[in-house]
Amino acid sequence: MSWNFEEIRQKALQEIFAITEANELESLRVKYLGRKGLIAQIFSSLTSLSDDQRPLVGKNTNELRNEITQFIEEKKKEIQQLKEKGDAQESLDITIPGVAVELGHQHILIQTMDEICGIFENLGFAVYEGPEIETEFNNFTALNIPVDHPSRDAFDTFYLKVEDPTNKGRYLLLRSHTSPSQIRIMQEFTPPLAVVVPGKVYRPDAVDASHSFMFHQIEGLLVDQGIKFSDLKGLLSIFCKRLFGENIKMRFRPHFFPFTEPSAEVDISCYICEGKGCSVCGRKGWLEIMGCGMVHPKVFQHVGYPKGKYTGLAFGMGVERMAMLKYGINDIRIFFENDLRFLRQF
Amino acid sequence: MKISLNWLKDYVNFTIPPEKLAHQLTMAGLEVEKIETVNDDTVFELEITPNRPDCLNMIGLAREVAAILNRPLRLPKIKKIRFPRESCAITILDKQGCSRYIGTVIQNVAVRNSPEWLLQRLQAIGTRTINNVVDITNFCLLETGQPLHAFDCDKLIGGKIIVRRARDGEKIVTIDGVERTLNSSVLVIADAKRPVAIAGIMGGKETEVTQDTKNILLESAYFDPVLIRRAARSLGLSSDSSYRFERGVDMNMVEGGSLRAIFLIHELAGGTIVQRSDNFPTKRMMIQRQIVVSRNQINQLLGASMTASRCKTVLKKLDFKVTMSGREILKVTPPFFRNDVKEEVDIVEEIARILGYENLPLSLPQIKMMNIKIDTKRPLERVIRQTLLGLGFDEAITYTMIDEGSLKKSHVNSSSVVRVKNPLTKDQEIMRPSLLPSLLSALLTNFNRGQKNIKLFELGKVYVDSQEINTLSLIMTTPHLEDWRQSKKDSLDFYDIKGVVEQVIKRLGSKGVIFVPAQQPFLVKGKSASIKVQEREIGFLGKITEDVLRHWDIKLKEILYAQINVKELFSKIAFQRTYQPIPEFPSIVRDVSLAVKTNTTFQQIKELIQEQKPEFLSSVEFVEQYVGDKIPAGHRGMTFSLVYQLPSRTLREDEVNAVHEKICQSLIENLGAIRR
Repeated sequence: MSWNFEEIRQKALQEIFAITEANELESLRVKYLGRKGLIAQIFSSLTSLSDDQRPLVGKNTNELRNEITQFIEEKKKEIQQLKEKGDAQESLDITIPGVAVELGHQHILIQTMDEICGIFENLGFAVYEGPEIETEFNNFTALNIPVDHPSRDAFDTFYLKVEDPTNKGRYLLLRSHTSPSQIRIMQEFTPPLAVVVPGKVYRPDAVDASHSFMFHQIEGLLVDQGIKFSDLKGLLSIFCKRLFGENIKMRFRPHFFPFTEPSAEVDISCYICEGKGCSVCGRKGWLEIMGCGMVHPKVFQHVGYPKGKYTGLAFGMGVERMAMLKYGINDIRIFFENDLRFLRQF
Repeated sequence: MKISLNWLKDYVNFTIPPEKLAHQLTMAGLEVEKIETVNDDTVFELEITPNRPDCLNMIGLAREVAAILNRPLRLPKIKKIRFPRESCAITILDKQGCSRYIGTVIQNVAVRNSPEWLLQRLQAIGTRTINNVVDITNFCLLETGQPLHAFDCDKLIGGKIIVRRARDGEKIVTIDGVERTLNSSVLVIADAKRPVAIAGIMGGKETEVTQDTKNILLESAYFDPVLIRRAARSLGLSSDSSYRFERGVDMNMVEGGSLRAIFLIHELAGGTIVQRSDNFPTKRMMIQRQIVVSRNQINQLLGASMTASRCKTVLKKLDFKVTMSGREILKVTPPFFRNDVKEEVDIVEEIARILGYENLPLSLPQIKMMNIKIDTKRPLERVIRQTLLGLGFDEAITYTMIDEGSLKKSHVNSSSVVRVKNPLTKDQEIMRPSLLPSLLSALLTNFNRGQKNIKLFELGKVYVDSQEINTLSLIMTTPHLEDWRQSKKDSLDFYDIKGVVEQVIKRLGSKGVIFVPAQQPFLVKGKSASIKVQEREIGFLGKITEDVLRHWDIKLKEILYAQINVKELFSKIAFQRTYQPIPEFPSIVRDVSLAVKTNTTFQQIKELIQEQKPEFLSSVEFVEQYVGDKIPAGHRGMTFSLVYQLPSRTLREDEVNAVHEKICQSLIENLGAIRR
């Protein structure tokens, strides 16, 4: 059998040339170059040729195969290029929003609590959560706030219609601050202690832009031998810088809390006026952010620690206040309205 | 408290500008809240902490200023007065309530307008001026901190003063013209017949000093702080006097204040003292405490290195008596009026405060590792949050105190509810036993403000029998994915919320959680389920009834709700998770489409298959259900996949077919199912 190589070549070239789709090209490739394709047939017919014909035909077949392979490759590239060009012509409106599950938003108070607790956790503090329903002993007495003392005015309290099982005739209450958790922690563990306590607290305040009957606090407690007032200053300086930025200025101002002595309030420079004085800071240039002090020896006495063995520092801050300062929120009520347009900003 | 700087200069000289003084006071713990200019005077508004009643007067503040600025203090001169022997008719019936009462009767006083200097002092800080006698009592209160009251002596029936508890229902018209009904918790000053003043709070109208008054009785007393505080509260009445009595006045100043007032009355209104008595029944003088503190103690607590003499100097400026024992030990006796200074740490604070906290050193604490059990709840709550945020739920925080009406509206049982004794409003009557009212209220707020697609969750507490139960609640009005390329899926059903709950359970790795049909009064029967672990209900989910939505005036039909006790859920978490090798050999999947009786559940089908323990079967997966005209009545179409797989080799078609056919046959026989 003889083959007209030139004719085959011409036909293959024409066929390849006429092709526009990649899949047609593939079937053409199978037709010529496949296992049962034309080239393979030619090769298998070589055995029937005489010894002097075989090398020449073999050479021609090889050349033909290479040529067709090359044509197909070129055509493939051409089709690919055309396709890309075509894609570019029918381009999408990429400004239309993409499609994905819209992620939810964590409440900004939870985010703020996580951020604050996280700073202290990085410094070696553990997070502890105490109950909201408390006894008078934990909320007041053990914290050196005697019953019927005017200093209790500042800690006005909701009582529950549930008798205190540990104190007959008295009632359980909703903790007015997170400090009773200090008592629970110290009763349960021996120092060294480094703990932060986030949680809800309650005070019967009439609701307005800056008061809420329910809000959140974070309490901190560090008790060991040899804890000093200078440590309190150092610890809270680091905290303020990490929360509000390296450039924040802060000051410690003497204050009164029954459960700490010496006691202080911490102010940071006003973020609006940078200390010059504006309406946000009441023209003081400073914003009060937290109370703190050295744990009062009476408190250690109430939890049964040996006299004089330990010293400690404690601090407490309002989470809503921190968030309001940090994000410029001017009404505390918005935290509990749960308006999606608020929640979804954070 | 307001103070005038011109007035302050009567007792201590200073030249620094008001802003600077305000800063110094603030940094010594006497926070200046506001600075005002009144004519040629500057007025500070101070926040005095409850431990410092001694600073609720000019002399007390001047003492602080003198100490802070290191200036001498000038106290007002009081001339020695010789009193007549005759005493007033004073009887103290409640000796607990009134530990000291000094009465002075002055005859023939000239009641008229006060002189200019007195008017200026009082007006600068906004005190109303009346006449010279009343103005003097107010002036002395502000100057010395001792509240005083002057009665028109001639109007006291029987010329008597009796200090006693009020009788229930007894009435008095106070000088503000308001008639007040008293009760036995209130201490009164009475004459022979009736109360003439509410002790420590406000005088009575009928015996007040007017321009016509000739003879006066001047009262200077010590009333029990707790008693005054309670009385002021129960009457809803407070005054400059009660404010000071509540915080505790200086027992010594009962006399000092009285003398200062008598001196000024004599100067400005003349008159003759005819009677005087000092009733001091308990003679309860304050004990002078001596506090011993070492230099070392002070420095250790502050982290400072001060000399003992430095500490001594500071304390002496505040009128503390200090003697040294050697070079290290300070023996400190605080003045009477510093009732707040009781122990060593109080001395340390005084020193730190006057030196200035900002001038004390700063150090970094050594925080030691603790071997305490870590709270496992937090990381698990974080898993819940992450899962729900990923599913598009926004996190809510709602009030835990609610009104009882909102429970009724939500058909939530209120039998074990924790009630609040002293709510300010109805909205704080009870501690919520369920999160449903809270989330319905949040949903309503959003709905009323035009928000449509609402998916909210809260990880909060519910309160049952004074137990606090950490609870997860979900509410949703919209399906998970909104895809603008597809036509809107406008409704959602039970499976939307079940999917969310299943995801949470899966993420946590809680084991043995099952869903069984259940009925909650606020969920639609047949479209709700109970979430159970070992027969214990730990939560529920489903469609909220239209009845509840109508009560809440929520105009949406499909609202899904779920609530789970997370503590129970956490307790079922298998902490030991073991790696399962990934199958090496391919699986063969066979779908089964059946028409089953409507009341046959997928769970029953699954269990029936698994009971037979068929060879090669690795799982049963639900594919879809179909209800329509192609399905016989009383039936529904259900398609599920049976997955066959072996870890050791590739399965052959024929062996799978045999098993599969057997399963199908058993379903048809046992359930009366029809193959489709």
